[in-house]
Amino acid sequence: MIVDVVIIGAGPSGLSAAIEVAQHGLTAAVIDEYYRPGGRLLGQHYEDPNAPPDDKVWDGKKVADELARKAEDLGVHLFTNVTAWSVSGKWKVELTGASVKSVEAKAMLLATGSIEKALPLPGWTLPGTISIGAAQTFTNLHHIAVGKKVMIVGVDPLSLSVMMEMKNTGIDVVGMVLPPDTPAIGHGHSPARTLERLSDVAGLAPNPLLRTVGKFSLTRFPRLVAHALRFNFLKVNGVPLQLRKVATEIEGNGKVEGITLQSVTIDGKITGEPEHVEVDTVCLSAGLYPMVDLAQTAGCPMVDVPELGGTVPLHGPDMSTPVEGLYVAGNITGIEGAKVTIAQGQLAGISMLASFGKSGSLSVQEAKENVNKARDISPLRFMPDIEKGRLKMEEIWKEEGVYERRNHLQV
Amino acid sequence: MNAYRLDSSEKKREPIEFYFNNKKLSGYDGEPIAVSLLANGIQTIRTCEVTGEGRGVFCGIGHCYECRAEVDGVANVRTCLTPNHQGTKVISPRSFTIRETLNDDS
Ligand SMILES: Cc1cc2nc3c(=O)[nH]c(=O)nc-3n(C[C@H](O)[C@H](O)[C@H](O)COP(=O)(O)OP(=O)(O)OC[C@H]3O[C@@H](n4cnc5c(N)ncnc54)[C@H](O)[C@@H]3O)c2cc1C
Ligand code: FES
Repeated sequence: MIVDVVIIGAGPSGLSAAIEVAQHGLTAAVIDEYYRPGGRLLGQHYEDPNAPPDDKVWDGKKVADELARKAEDLGVHLFTNVTAWSVSGKWKVELTGASVKSVEAKAMLLATGSIEKALPLPGWTLPGTISIGAAQTFTNLHHIAVGKKVMIVGVDPLSLSVMMEMKNTGIDVVGMVLPPDTPAIGHGHSPARTLERLSDVAGLAPNPLLRTVGKFSLTRFPRLVAHALRFNFLKVNGVPLQLRKVATEIEGNGKVEGITLQSVTIDGKITGEPEHVEVDTVCLSAGLYPMVDLAQTAGCPMVDVPELGGTVPLHGPDMSTPVEGLYVAGNITGIEGAKVTIAQGQLAGISMLASFGKSGSLSVQEAKENVNKARDISPLRFMPDIEKGRLKMEEIWKEEGVYERRNHLQV
Repeated sequence: MNAYRLDSSEKKREPIEFYFNNKKLSGYDGEPIAVSLLANGIQTIRTCEVTGEGRGVFCGIGHCYECRAEVDGVANVRTCLTPNHQGTKVISPRSFTIRETLNDDS
């Protein structure tokens, strides 16, 4: 199949880009390995306190269905249950599981989203241990209880919002604890560090958390709050948030039957005796990082920007990369919420249109401003210093992007 | 229908019967196979080739490959991504004896 633009990933950014280019005269194909379009939108369901009164509930599945329908109505070829294994040339995407073997296009957009970081606790491979993203998908998309007694390891905006969704459907979430400090897991999860990062969830629903510990003190004095949390534990939605306990091992004979907890100092050092809690399911949450494999295969230089969530493809403010005809959008460029990625997708679409000598529904500049606006009203922030990360990338692009692009053109 | 189903807003779905290691189970047409299995309380989908320990769904969205099974004769299918249908036969990899009995039946 030959199209103008091939897009890998039918999440919010890929679908929004497809709609933009198809509306302005380009042909497009979108490829996704999941069985239905929408990417991580499909699991999202929560109240957005920043939204207008009649639009308070963010129903990701509905947004996904609307975007997919719009794309299809515009003639976009949407392939689901199809994995893009490899990309080559400029551009040929090899597919498995599709009616066509490959798609060829002049421009390619990588919108492959993000992956969850591993949390390799002893016992984490036991059936009944799942990622927090799986819990989100099973609860909100498939309406399945992941277990009867659930413990969540890892306290962050995503795990808090999934905890509330599980509670709302009646699942017994017995508590939330922190990951331990081990060589495999790293040092980032001490009570003090966790509280520092949590200071940014103010927008989202864990308002009870902020009410209890006080937004001001949480933001300014995470260590003080971590001290104060020594004995009493705080409850959010009736679920104990045990910020001074870590999970050291998941146990069970063939499947999860319990979990061992230990108290820790505010810096994460273990104190006291281990304690055993019976659960049949453990959800692990360690944060997200951009899924960049195909960008590497496509020859795009990579840059490590911790504020964006890790290693990301070098890209300009218009979502182009140094590789001619290669664009990126969405979480592959940095971990952010769905609204931001929708705006990024449109921006990438407009940039691709420009490379074909066509104009889109907005100027590149206007589309860029929309991305910033979406960030300002976003209810969920994953990376506390995301703006800094975006600026860093712009600087690196100014220094290296243009030079890299010239190099690529010479090859 | 199954013990682990929460109240569903997506009504009007087609109930189906499918097989997991020869056992007849119920599910809904079009939902991922792993969802039908979890709805029946089944967490262990395969055994690890190296250690022989049980493995099941981990990421739920196609990244980790822990949920692999043989589906209608095709090996290493990610059950969390693959829609279930009436009569689908799902077999844990390494369950060779089960597959043989199945073949005998047909
Ligand atoms: C577990 C998890 C939970 C999240 N929860 C929230 C939340 O509650 N609220 C929020 O605002 N944001 C959430 N996010 C952030 C989320 O990433 C963004 O909201 C948004 O969905 C990102 O859009 P995207 O288009 O970049 O990628 P995604 O939505 O991740 O979509 C990427 C798509 O690409 C497909 N894909 C990847 N590689 C290939 C390949 N090789 N071949 C074929 N298809 C491929 C995937 O199947 C996926 O459908 C979450 C992210 C994760 C990982
Ligand atoms: S559960 Fe991870 S690939 Fe299916």
